[in-house]
Amino acid sequence: MFELDLRSRAPIYEQLVEKIKDLIVNNVLKADEQLPAVRVLASELTVNPNTVQKAYRELEYRGYIYSLPGKGSFVKAAVPENNTARLQSLEKDLERIIAEMIFLGRSAQQIDNLVQSCLVKSKGGTVND
Amino acid sequence: MIEVSGVSKSFAALQALNEVSLSVQKGSIYGLVGSNGAGKTTLLKILAGIYKPDAGKVMIDCRPVYENNSIKMRSVFIPDYLYCFPNHTVNDLAQFHARIYPRWSQERYEKLQPVFNIDGKHRIRTLSKGMQRQLAFWMGLSVQPEVMILDEPLDGLDPVMRQKVKSLVIQDVAEKDMSVIISSHNLRELEDICDYIGILHRGKLLVQQDLDDLKADIHKIQLAFSEDIPPELLTGMSVLHQERRGSVLILIVRGAYEEITGRLQAFQPAIMDILPLTLEEIFIYEMGDNGYEIKNLIS
Repeated sequence: MFELDLRSRAPIYEQLVEKIKDLIVNNVLKADEQLPAVRVLASELTVNPNTVQKAYRELEYRGYIYSLPGKGSFVKAAVPENNTARLQSLEKDLERIIAEMIFLGRSAQQIDNLVQSCLVKSKGGTVND
Repeated sequence: MIEVSGVSKSFAALQALNEVSLSVQKGSIYGLVGSNGAGKTTLLKILAGIYKPDAGKVMIDCRPVYENNSIKMRSVFIPDYLYCFPNHTVNDLAQFHARIYPRWSQERYEKLQPVFNIDGKHRIRTLSKGMQRQLAFWMGLSVQPEVMILDEPLDGLDPVMRQKVKSLVIQDVAEKDMSVIISSHNLRELEDICDYIGILHRGKLLVQQDLDDLKADIHKIQLAFSEDIPPELLTGMSVLHQERRGSVLILIVRGAYEEITGRLQAFQPAIMDILPLTLEEIFIYEMGDNGYEIKNLIS
């Protein structure tokens, strides 16, 4: 399904959370689609099953997936609720990127245009779906 | 599942283990790392019931291990030096295991044959070191153990086989709740498969922690200030290591992420990067903290 970057410093369960979240956010994994079983994913990626379990728990806590006892984990349809912390860190990233762009000579107008075109693209995506 | 409490072992004047306590949960993979001669193999041999500890208790499934057949028939030990009977073939060895281990599964043995792809008629002595090691895993997994004790088990296996063997072990952990304790110097590899880590040094267990907690508790920080470094910067912090490279200060700090960032942010550094440490770095700095460090050899 995906590959982990085994050379990365980021803990494996964090990488798992990020990868699965990416797949959900970009609609590769659709609502109510079943995620691979913990033991299947663990032996496929050769990582500890408890680590996969932990990643699933984290995703469930953050509201990206839900689990049915005895059946497995599924993608949640609704927008996650526990996302303030993540939003804050994304905003910080954005601030850093904008600061660097200005340092490298982009004007405020150019950045604004870029943001507008990104917004149009993302909105267009949801309308067409 | 595995409970070791206050175990000591001496060989003549050498104290190999000094009151070591650890526990391995069911369905968990415990990584045992340590300096050379730290006592890893001694500890694993005690767990396997080969050595009798001088003091302390070693229990598997709440029963003592030493001279206990009912425990031994459910656990498998793969030592760092393999012993093979002269003139035995692979099939002879399988028969030998089948006679000794009641949980032996001939079906599993045959099912794993294509994975290892070793001809059953080969004499074991003619096999290469790596193939003998594969054979040890093949036999070990066919016994369907509840506990696997592995002493530097992946040494000498090629990259493809390492992956296959790890995947097979993980399958048994996930499906059958097998417990594994594994010693290795390949920390990169342990990092992927273990959920618990113990660091052994001179017969003592220095650290024993959930791997993710261990990583969350120690950070590498790169700091740069546009002016001079404030002198009171490091007060009240548990700094394991610090180093200056030009205007950049590199710190290894123990503590919670939020607390450290909060404290350092107050000094308004121009640049602050926080990186998680790899297991290898954690090992080096923890050892350095205990007087076992990399010194500049040519000075």
